[in-house]
Amino acid sequence: MDIKHTHKFKALSAQQVWDTIQNPEVLKAVLPGCKTFDEVGDEQYKAVLGINMGPIKGEFTADVEQVDKNEPTSYRLLVKASGKPGEIDANALMELEEVDGNTELTCTADVAATGLMATIGQRMIGGVAKVVLKQFFKDIEKKAKQ
Amino acid sequence: MSKLVGQRMKRKEDPKLITGNATYLDDLKIPNLLHAYILRSPHPHANIKSIHKDKALAHPGVVAVYTGKDLEGKINPVPTSWKVPGMNLIETAQYPLAIDTARYVGDGVAMVIASDRYAAEDAAELVEVEYEVLPSISNQKEARKEGAPQIYDEVPNNTAFTYIAGEVTDADIDGAEVVIRGNYSTQRVAPSPMETRNSLAQYNPGNGELKLYVGSQNPHIHRMVLSEVLDFPEHRLQVKVADMGGGFGGKIGVYPDEALVSYAAIDLKRPVKWVETRNEHFQSANAGRDMMVDVELAGTKDGKITAIRVVNHANIGAYLATFGPGNPTIDFGLMVSGPYKIPKAQVTTYGMYTNTMSVDSYRGAGKPEVTFMLERAVSDFAKEIGMDPVEVRKLNFAQKEEFPFTNAQGLVYDSGDYDKALDRAVEIADYEKLRQEQKMALGEGRYIGIGISSYVELSGFGPSAVAGGIGFQGGIWENSTVRVHPTGKVTVFTGTSPHGQGHDTTFTQIVADKLGIPYEDINFVFNDTKAVSMGWGTYGSRSLAVGGNAVALSTDKVIEKGRIVAAHLLQSEVENVAFEKGVYFVKSDPTMRKTFQEIAKAANFAWDMPEGIEPGLEEKTFFDPSNFTYPFGTHIVVVEVDPETGHVEILRYISVDDSGKIVNPLVAEGQILGAVAQGVGQALWEEIKYDEKGQLQTGSFMDYTMPKARFFPKIEMDFTETLSPVNQLGSKGVAESGVTGSIAATANAVMDALAPFNVENISIPLTPEKVWRAIQKGEGKQ
Repeated sequence: MDIKHTHKFKALSAQQVWDTIQNPEVLKAVLPGCKTFDEVGDEQYKAVLGINMGPIKGEFTADVEQVDKNEPTSYRLLVKASGKPGEIDANALMELEEVDGNTELTCTADVAATGLMATIGQRMIGGVAKVVLKQFFKDIEKKAKQ
Repeated sequence: MSKLVGQRMKRKEDPKLITGNATYLDDLKIPNLLHAYILRSPHPHANIKSIHKDKALAHPGVVAVYTGKDLEGKINPVPTSWKVPGMNLIETAQYPLAIDTARYVGDGVAMVIASDRYAAEDAAELVEVEYEVLPSISNQKEARKEGAPQIYDEVPNNTAFTYIAGEVTDADIDGAEVVIRGNYSTQRVAPSPMETRNSLAQYNPGNGELKLYVGSQNPHIHRMVLSEVLDFPEHRLQVKVADMGGGFGGKIGVYPDEALVSYAAIDLKRPVKWVETRNEHFQSANAGRDMMVDVELAGTKDGKITAIRVVNHANIGAYLATFGPGNPTIDFGLMVSGPYKIPKAQVTTYGMYTNTMSVDSYRGAGKPEVTFMLERAVSDFAKEIGMDPVEVRKLNFAQKEEFPFTNAQGLVYDSGDYDKALDRAVEIADYEKLRQEQKMALGEGRYIGIGISSYVELSGFGPSAVAGGIGFQGGIWENSTVRVHPTGKVTVFTGTSPHGQGHDTTFTQIVADKLGIPYEDINFVFNDTKAVSMGWGTYGSRSLAVGGNAVALSTDKVIEKGRIVAAHLLQSEVENVAFEKGVYFVKSDPTMRKTFQEIAKAANFAWDMPEGIEPGLEEKTFFDPSNFTYPFGTHIVVVEVDPETGHVEILRYISVDDSGKIVNPLVAEGQILGAVAQGVGQALWEEIKYDEKGQLQTGSFMDYTMPKARFFPKIEMDFTETLSPVNQLGSKGVAESGVTGSIAATANAVMDALAPFNVENISIPLTPEKVWRAIQKGEGKQ
C-alpha cells in the first residue's frame, strides 16, 4: 500500500523543520500513542505505540531506523512494527523543500501489513494514516515554533 | 393424478425459521462445554521456527493448547475427495494444524481450548509463534513460471495437475475465417453463507462414541472422511447437522477445523465447540471460482462456430480441497461447448498451488466459469461478424430433435429445447423494441446495454460408475426410506441434506400425491448419519433429481406392498386391486375397500399377513440414475452505464430456465432469484483479493461487496418444461442455473452499453472504477 502526504510548514526553514523532526524528545512527545521512544543504536530507535482505530486495537513494538540522511533535504525512515493486530513493514522517504519561505515536507511511504491490519484494515489504513500524519506534522510545526 | 406436485406450496420449514424456533449449532447448550479458538498464520508462507504456549496455558480458563507438532502422528492429513485420473495429480499433505510450514494467511498453527470463548481468544494472543517468512505467491499464472516461489519441494512449478480434454489443432484455429481470442476469467469470490462454519464434538468415553455436529452439506461424507483423518471407527462416529444457515458449496468440504475439534473432545473427554468468525471465514473457508481462462474461438463469417480451444489456469489454493480438483477439470472441461454444436473443443487446465486459501465448489462449481467464458466469447464473435447475438446462438444450438445429444467432449445431454427457452426470453424482453429503445437512448446520451447468455449445465450427479471413472471418491446415488407408522403417518429418511432448499416441502408434495394422504401426515428426517443409513448430500443440484426420485421410488414400493396386504384382506387378487386417493379397492367392486391407514395398521400389527410377506410397511431405495440431467436456459439483462461515474444500473433482468418438471414453482423461483443475485454479484461487485504475495486484503464485508436486494429490479422469471428421461419425475437440477446464466448475461450487457466508447474487454467484476477507467482509456483520456 502506498501512502503519500505533504505538509506545509509555514515560515519555517528546512533546517528548522529538520532539527525538530530529528529530535527524539520531540518525537516521543508528538508520536500518537507513543509510550516509549529510546535510542538503541546509531540512528536506531525502539518505540512502543498504542494504536486504536476501529477493529484494530493494540500495542505495537516498533524498530525505527533512519538511513540515507541528506541534511536538511531528505532521509529515509524504516519502520518494522509488530503487535496483536499484525505486523507493519514501512519504508518512508521524507523530503523537505523550501518554497516561498515555507518548507514542504513530503512523506512517500510503502507500507506492507499482515494480520488484521491487512485483512480488514486496508480500506481504513490509508485514510487513518493521513489523519495521523496530518496531526503529527501539525504538532511538529508547533514544536518547531516554540 | 397430481394434486400437489406443481403447486406453489408455502414452505413447511419457514414457520420454524421465522418464529425463532430453529436450533443452529451455536444455540446448542451442553454441560461442561469447552470452546476452541484457532490461531492462524498472518503470513502467506512461513516456516514455524518455534511456538511457546506457556503464557497461554497460564491464562485463566485455558484447558489445553495444541500445536501442529503436538498432533503429529495423531491426526492424519485431510485428503481431497476428487482424484481425477490421468492428470498427474500431486496431492500434498494438509495437516489439521501446520507442523513446520504455514502456506496461506489463515493456515491454522495452534488451537486453544478454554472454558469460554473469550478466554480462548484472549489466550490465543499469548501464544508466541516465531516465523521465518518465506517467498510467496498468489497469482496462479505467475506461479507456473520459472523462478516463481515454490510452495512444495515435491511439486515442480507449483503445478498440482495438468488436465487435457479434447483436441483442437493449430490448423483448426489459424485456418478459420474468424478467430476470437480473449481472456474471460472468473475471479475468486467467497460463498458467504449467512451462518459461518462451525462444529461441536461430544465424546462418550463410556461407549467410545463420538457425536459431531458440524456445518455440512453432506454429513455422510464428513463421517467417512473424518473417520479416516481421525483413525476413528466410522460406525461409532455420528455426524449431525443442526439447522444450518446456508452453504452454497462452502460447506461441502471436510476441513481441518472439524478434525481438530473432534480430536480435542476425545483427548479432553469433554465437549468442544468452535464457531468461525466472519473474518476467519474470509481467510479459511474454501473460496470459489478463481480461474484465469484464455480462449480461442474459431468460426465462419456467416456465424458457425467451428472450434474452441481453452487454457484454464485454475487457482486451487495452498491445499487440495474436498472437490477442488474436479471443478476446473471435469465440470469445466467437459462443458466447454455449452449448448452449441461445436465440432471441436479442447480444454487444458493447470491446477496451481498458490499461497492462498483452497478453492472448492461454489454454486455451479465450474459451470458458471465455463459458461461465462463461452458466452462472453460467443457475444464477441457475434459482434466481430456483425450478427445479432440472439441469431448467432440460434444458429449454433443443438436442435431439440437431436437429443440425446453428444457434445464435443462426449457428454450425452439427456434432453433439451434451447430455442424454446431463448425464444421465450426474447419474447418477454421484447427484444426488437429494446434494441430500438437502446438506439434512441444513445441519441439522448444514455448508454443502455443488452446482454444475453444461453447455457446448459450438468446437474443431478449420477450414475456412480461415472463417479468412479472421474475419480470422485464416493458414490453419487441417493438413498431413501419411507416408513409408515401404525396410524398411517409417514416418516421419510433421505441422504440429501437440506439447509435452505426446502426439501421437506417439495419431497412431501411428491409423497402426498402418491399416497393420497394429507400433506401434514408426512415428515422428513435428514442430516443425521445415525438416522439415515447412507447418502451423499446436497450439492450439484442433485437433491430433487436424484434424492427426490429415490423418495418417489420408495413410496411406490410402499404402495405395492400395501396392495399385497390389501388384496389379502379384501380376498382379491393383487392385480385386481387398485389404489387411488389413499384407498385400496377391488376394481370390479369399489365398495370392497381399505384405506391406506387401515393397511398401515394391518401391516404393522401383522395379525393376518399374506403368506410369505413380512410384517411392517417400510421400504428403502438406493437410486442410481442412468445419466446426469442437463438444465438449460437463456437470461437477458438490460443495464444503463453512467459514463461519468462508471456505475452500472440494472434496468431489467429476464430469466427463462428449463429444469424439467418443477415440483414447486415457489421454491424453484427462490432458487433462481438467489442464484441470479450471486451471479450478478460475481459480474459486478464481489471479489476476494490477495496482494501478489498472498496477503488477504478482503477480510470483512467492509471490503467485500455482498449484493443487496436494492441493487436489483424485479427479476422477470419464467420456465419452460422439457422433461428429463433419466428419472421418474422428469426433473432436472435448478439451484445453480441462475448463477450459471447470469454472469455472462450481465457482463455482456455492460460491454454492449460500452460499445460506443471503443473499450477493450474488461475483467469482472465490472466495478464502477474499472468501467470508468475503461471509458477514459477508450476515449483516449488515460
